[in-house]
Amino acid sequence: MAATFFGEVVRTPCRAGTEEEEEEEDGNRETPEDREVRRQLARKREVRLFRRQTKTTLEVSLLEKHPCSKFIIAIGNNAVAFLSSFVMNSGAWEEVGCAKLWNEWCRTTDTAHLSPTEAFCVFYHLKSNPSVFGSCPRKNMQVTILTCRHVTDYKTSESTSSLHTPFLKALKTQNFKEPPFCSLLEQPNIVHDLPAAVLSYCQVWRIPAVLYLCYTDVMKLDLITIEAFKPVLSSKSLKCLVKNIPQSTEILKKLMTTNEIQSNIYT
Amino acid sequence: MASRYDRAITVFSPDGHLFQVEYAQEAVKKGSTAVGIRGTNIVVLGVEKKSVAKLQDERTVRKICALDDHVCMAFAGLTADARVVINKARVECQSHKLTVEDPVTVEYITRFIATLKQKYTQSNGRRPFGISALIVGFDDDGIPRLYQTDPSGTYHAWKANAIGRSAKTVREFLEKNYTEDAIANDNEAIKLAIRALLEVVQSGGKNIELAIIRRNQPLKDSGTAVPKPQGHRTTDSRVSSPAPRHTYMFSAKEIELQVNEIEKEKEEAEKKKSKKTT
Repeated sequence: MAATFFGEVVRTPCRAGTEEEEEEEDGNRETPEDREVRRQLARKREVRLFRRQTKTTLEVSLLEKHPCSKFIIAIGNNAVAFLSSFVMNSGAWEEVGCAKLWNEWCRTTDTAHLSPTEAFCVFYHLKSNPSVFGSCPRKNMQVTILTCRHVTDYKTSESTSSLHTPFLKALKTQNFKEPPFCSLLEQPNIVHDLPAAVLSYCQVWRIPAVLYLCYTDVMKLDLITIEAFKPVLSSKSLKCLVKNIPQSTEILKKLMTTNEIQSNIYT
Repeated sequence: MASRYDRAITVFSPDGHLFQVEYAQEAVKKGSTAVGIRGTNIVVLGVEKKSVAKLQDERTVRKICALDDHVCMAFAGLTADARVVINKARVECQSHKLTVEDPVTVEYITRFIATLKQKYTQSNGRRPFGISALIVGFDDDGIPRLYQTDPSGTYHAWKANAIGRSAKTVREFLEKNYTEDAIANDNEAIKLAIRALLEVVQSGGKNIELAIIRRNQPLKDSGTAVPKPQGHRTTDSRVSSPAPRHTYMFSAKEIELQVNEIEKEKEEAEKKKSKKTT
């Protein structure tokens, strides 16, 4: 136990052993009720894949149904807006399914009747070239991940006021041979959450994958942040998919105006 | 390290940071962009207007406020903090006038605001103000002034500066384009402010608000050169005080005119360039 400057009592780690050893014996006894609650929670947290239009669950694994050569995943609202306006506006993209999941951090409490708009992840494939999509580990598949992070998470020895946000940093797996379109992410910076999981998976399964991480100081939908992803459009995977760039800027502006969140805290 | 020294404002970290003050500067970046330019006979404040909700009264959402007849201020950051600072500054302006029988100098009121902000970085139990301000005006000596304050309580005089979101981009634009020619006459200074904002404003001229103060030019004597401001006379007591004598707020139409002119100039410059290369 220790007291701090402001009078709060703080538990300090005790090297002589935990004080809770006596309490542990009682706590370990699990009743059948506890087991049932745990089982229900595990069921709630299962990831479910299904078709949005028909609301039917996809029996066969989505992954095996649609093998592909290029997998592009965008995480975060700016990355998604970039992908939908620059890549998905050219060519017809068909939605093949979506993934829904729930965990304790979700704001909805009713898991059985999640509305279609609460899909966690939506999967699309290019109608004209169905090989562009999918996610089973295939030797000739290439994965591109786009995501954003706040610039205050970026650790650097130079002064933060000299950083020109937004800027792109890349991280790639061993099998990815193409040179990335920006400098690699330096140590001690690390990637978190879903992008890190996807990249690690690709590294383990020897799939060539590259992650483009945009450090920005505006985490909500922002035109300048989205445009920072533009260098990625000249990569091998995306070059053939992007056709109409001026139209994309128009679509982006429309997206911005429809999605603007009204907040009066900051002016 | 940051997490152990950023919970209280009065605690320095071992390497000399006041993290709460630095976090307050991040809050400023969440506000929309404001730019200030000091010309030879004019000072200009331009801001990116926030989009107003459909049912919201637009006149009550203001980023440029008058502190006195001859001093104007634009802020970026927490709206509520700005309101408190502006109210205190306005009271100080009048109190100074009554005590000393002279209107405040721009530097005096800037120093007052900066001192107020600094007090809140050294008080127990309070957090710093999350706003940066650009303060413009003319003193009795007729010299134009532009000052900038930040949450730490520092203030400096500038020839041109920007605060808020993408301030760095705007500042870089100003560093390249602020020349003696650019501020030679009033119109050029106004155009420079609008061009700087157009670098970062996402939907063009209709989201820009502009205010200017000219030297010794009260509004009623302007005649045809400076038309009457539209939409700024109000008897609604909820709205912040009406424009003072010397400050002029541009109407949406006037801004649109300026933006169109700028776009024409850009096109012409590009045509010339392409002619030269072909």
